[in-house]
Amino acid sequence: MAHFPALYRTARLLAQESAEAEDLVQEVYLEAWKSFHRFERGTNCRAWLFKILFHRLHHFRRRWAKAAKVEPFEKPEDQDSIMAEAPVPQEIRDENVLEALGKVPIEFREVVLLADVQEFSYKEIAETMKLPLGTVMSRLSRGRKLLRQELAGVAESYGIRLGNNQARTGESA
Amino acid sequence: MNVLNFDSKQCERIRQCLDAYLSNELLVETTSDVLRHLERCEACARELEARSKVREALRRAAENQIAPEELRQAIQRRLRESRIGFLGASRRLAWALALAGLVIVVLGTVAMQHWIKVVEGRRIVAGVLALGVSDHLQCAIKGHNYPDIANPPELLRKKLGPQYAGVLEVVQKNLPGFEILEAHICSVQGSPRKYVHFIARGHGTILSVILTKSEGVQLPNGTMLRSGASGSVDLYEAHLEGMNVAGFESKGYLGFVVSDLNRDTTMQIANALASPLNAALQATG
Repeated sequence: MAHFPALYRTARLLAQESAEAEDLVQEVYLEAWKSFHRFERGTNCRAWLFKILFHRLHHFRRRWAKAAKVEPFEKPEDQDSIMAEAPVPQEIRDENVLEALGKVPIEFREVVLLADVQEFSYKEIAETMKLPLGTVMSRLSRGRKLLRQELAGVAESYGIRLGNNQARTGESA
Repeated sequence: MNVLNFDSKQCERIRQCLDAYLSNELLVETTSDVLRHLERCEACARELEARSKVREALRRAAENQIAPEELRQAIQRRLRESRIGFLGASRRLAWALALAGLVIVVLGTVAMQHWIKVVEGRRIVAGVLALGVSDHLQCAIKGHNYPDIANPPELLRKKLGPQYAGVLEVVQKNLPGFEILEAHICSVQGSPRKYVHFIARGHGTILSVILTKSEGVQLPNGTMLRSGASGSVDLYEAHLEGMNVAGFESKGYLGFVVSDLNRDTTMQIANALASPLNAALQATG
């Protein structure tokens, strides 16, 4: 079953519970099997399966959070600023990353997972998620930054030493 | 708040490129700008290191999430159940594919006369490589002719018969990170051609290594797309039907590595396999 581990991992890190992730992945394969005739020849099978995954995920999510208000994604103050980089913990454990990732709003989390774990290109992400390329880039940038901030917070709460990569930035002015 | 002592405008500009740099999405010229700056600016180099570290940690944590085997089996059961009701549509698809293939061949033949030599060469290469892709798609992907738990080597050797049993070990040995689930001799419907087919799982996907007697079909001279680093075997590559395929000629055989892994990985795998397979096929006579 091609790409099963990758689809499961992504679903698991985006769904709220493992049962939801399992339902999602199951639906992806059934849907892929039913609509194989719609698979465009010459395109990437992995990208196609992820497209179905996100289609199902967004459908689920609309059901889960009908009433929930979604914050606007791109605010002007979200622009990269040299001053705002969070320190990176010296030692990063898997559980710290997963906890921090859970705190990153899902709109950003999904783009970060596609880019950094699945290594899809910007163009493939834009097609998979039906987003403009510019939105993919800004969400990725913002998402990575949020993950780093959350990671610093999580590490601090466990008393893990934060790296001095930022503290030393330009300190001898 | 830190005070910045570097050329903050320049740093600001470079840092806006760092995300795209990490994703390998920058133009070549911008990449060299970034690299030049990183050589001079310790603060930005540290910043890149910090971002790479988080990215690496995320990838590691994500990859350590193990997909449950029971789920895989449950999905496969559901798929098998729905496959029964799906045969009609699948047959229509096979006809459509065959027709599309025919149209491509006809159009290709007509257009070829007008194309420049290199393009012509590439098309011939793609046409030959399509032999491997069709077997991979029909046998491994759509036919799902492999078990979830690898067949034992003794069984695979038996399926391959005395002539090719020895090749099994050579393929397994030169496919690091992959496990051979299945090996057999098969053919694509409508063609008398026989394929020696190895189906392997690894890197989150299914990959095929396919050998078929060249029987007069050959990869054309002078259109080698990349020279193999191992020995004197030349590699040919193409992207067909969503698959990357790397091909080589070997002692009266055509060899193919077909997968949906990226082009470079597919080429690297073929590169590692080509020479040992060459030697093994020579031994089989």
